[in-house]
Amino acid sequence: MRNRFDEQLFELNREIIEMGALCEEAISNAVKALVTGDVILAGSIKEKDNAIDQKERDIENRCMKLLLHQQPVARDLRTISAAMKLITDMERIGDQADDIAEIVVFLDGHIVDNMELIEEMAQETIKMVTNSVDAFVIKDIALAQQVIEQDDIVDDYFLRVKRGIISLITDQAVNGEVALDLLMISKYFERIGDHATNIAEWVIYSITGMHKGA
Amino acid sequence: MTSKIFKSILSVAIAVLLASLVVITGMLYQYFGTMQESQLKDELSLAASATEQLGQSYLSQLDSDRYRLTWVDADGTVIFDTHADSATMDNHENREEIREALLTGTGSSVRQSSTLTEQTIYEAVRLEDGSVLRISVSRATAFVLVICMFQPILMVLFFAAGLSAWLARRMAKRVVEPLNNLNLDQPMENEAYEELSPLLHRIHTQHIEIEQQMQELQHKRDEFDQITDNMKEALVLLDHSGRILSINPAAKNLYEIASVTIGEDFLTLERKQFMREALEQAKVQGHAEFRAQKNGRDYQFDVNRIDSDGNTRGMVILAYDITEQVNAEKHRQAFTANVSHELKTPLQAIIGSAELMENGIVKTDDLPRFVGHIRKEASRLLYLIDDIIRLSQLDEGAEMDQEDVPLKQLAEDVCENLTDAAKLKDVTLEVTGEDVVMRGVRRLLYEILYNLCDNAIKYNRAGGSVTVSVSQRTNEICVSVKDTGIGIPSEHQDKIFERFYRVDKSHSKQSGGTGLGLSIVKHAVQYHHGKIVLASQVNVGTTITVLFDTTA
Repeated sequence: MRNRFDEQLFELNREIIEMGALCEEAISNAVKALVTGDVILAGSIKEKDNAIDQKERDIENRCMKLLLHQQPVARDLRTISAAMKLITDMERIGDQADDIAEIVVFLDGHIVDNMELIEEMAQETIKMVTNSVDAFVIKDIALAQQVIEQDDIVDDYFLRVKRGIISLITDQAVNGEVALDLLMISKYFERIGDHATNIAEWVIYSITGMHKGA
Repeated sequence: MTSKIFKSILSVAIAVLLASLVVITGMLYQYFGTMQESQLKDELSLAASATEQLGQSYLSQLDSDRYRLTWVDADGTVIFDTHADSATMDNHENREEIREALLTGTGSSVRQSSTLTEQTIYEAVRLEDGSVLRISVSRATAFVLVICMFQPILMVLFFAAGLSAWLARRMAKRVVEPLNNLNLDQPMENEAYEELSPLLHRIHTQHIEIEQQMQELQHKRDEFDQITDNMKEALVLLDHSGRILSINPAAKNLYEIASVTIGEDFLTLERKQFMREALEQAKVQGHAEFRAQKNGRDYQFDVNRIDSDGNTRGMVILAYDITEQVNAEKHRQAFTANVSHELKTPLQAIIGSAELMENGIVKTDDLPRFVGHIRKEASRLLYLIDDIIRLSQLDEGAEMDQEDVPLKQLAEDVCENLTDAAKLKDVTLEVTGEDVVMRGVRRLLYEILYNLCDNAIKYNRAGGSVTVSVSQRTNEICVSVKDTGIGIPSEHQDKIFERFYRVDKSHSKQSGGTGLGLSIVKHAVQYHHGKIVLASQVNVGTTITVLFDTTA
């Protein structure tokens, strides 16, 4: 009985890793598309997002079945409930990567000159997502903690990008629509950073049983 | 064990108890029955003689609970009874004992009561007057006796059960104790029950077998570990569900992990898309391979499915470093592209000039200039092909004749051959140092000095100088070519020995040369097991020092 349960937990763990990897790929592809103005790559992110959504449903099903059939307690219960929270955040990351890609398609290869800051912000966000998935994979509290701290950096980037965009508008260097799109993109990155932070918090919860809010 | 012993002891106890109960009850019942009968007879004879003398008055004054006396007339009518009113009683003529007594003088009979709980014994005797006196006594049947003894028997049984439990436990302990004390590691050295020796012997042989098999396994394991530990390729074995069964140090290095990860999901080490896809592909098709960058190096990953009896047992992931190979491939591609380009350029110039002449566009006066151009380009082509041939010879590493070469003299020869070129650029040439004789291939050493000096002149400034110095040190011969030229920027310094590499791409036409000179130098030095030291500063000059190890 226990053996079968362990086997299912193992499968659950694997599926979450796969979903995390898909999120990483979605966001890094979105950034690549944004930087290079690659519209085809941007279009392909939709598929990644669909795969992520499918994965979320699969994992949800698995978790429900485990909860109903095995009625886990203590650590196992924490693992499963944390998994259910994790995947919602991962799914949101996938959605936002797709949203960024949509804007890239909308910009249609139009690359703005001072993209460096957004690019730096994107790299920092990718690092956060990777670290949060890594923290889950190797069950590393310190790494999860680092992700939570990293969020401040991304938030800071958002403010700087915002100021940059304001000055772009006042200088009339770009048209208003592009400026707004850029603002949206940076907001999406900021939100992705928040989701990565959430993931890190749930990772800590699944290991220690303590959640930040509690 | 205890319960088994307990059961057998208890059943023996119960059996003994029941058997003795039956025997004793039967025997005693019989004995007391006979006793009672004779007693009854004595009483009767006493009563009979008393009744004969005293008549009814005796009987009526008789007060006995135990016995019941009945006096019956010869015709069966009851005259008197000690326990009942004679008037109400039936005629007793047909009673067995009375009939017997009337006939023979004495009679007896036993009758069960209707409930079977009591038994009445009758004894009768005929008196002299023909009447019959009967005595009777009631006693409990054997069945009732047994029922009465039920409670004590039950108590005995309880006691027996308790005793057997205690005995059983003690016995089991005593039987098992030597078994528990057996030293199973050394089964033949035990002195327990004799009955155990076949078992111990068997354990002993199995011990030996297991030990041998363990050793064999350990040996195989060690062998496997030794091979995988020392192989440069990263090797990971996975079971059917993707858990790591074995991972060698090279793979641990590749994934930068220190701790043992046996039993964990392989995806915890590598979750990249290409690996997931390769594992999926290998699961379906049996094999997958891909190239990927890891830690800044190129790796070739081979993933293979392991089947046995038609079932998938697991996966093997083998990764090997192909950085050199990838670089060599890139070099080869660049070389081919460069060679074709370099060969094409002079040919196009030749064809261009020839076409102009063919179409009669060239004036007669200009003809020598065009022919000269063709000749110049043709000889450039020849140089280039010569250089390529020389390089490919060096690449092949063919054996060449070695001889003692006086290096200083060789350097002077080179300088003499380059005097014209030096004059053209207004550069002074100088050879310094000692007479050093080195064993090597004269042609290659000449090549080295020629190319180095040629470059030193070519990339010099007007009024500059080139100094060649030859010196012998302990264990090595040092040849250095120093110029006062334009120098080589540091970012190009480690690339100038590559084929067709040029610091300033636009210079190639201007300075001539094939772009293969330093490449030839590098190979020629390598052939002599030497090494090249480059020191250069932009706009100050370059010193290339070649060190030949004389101990090798």
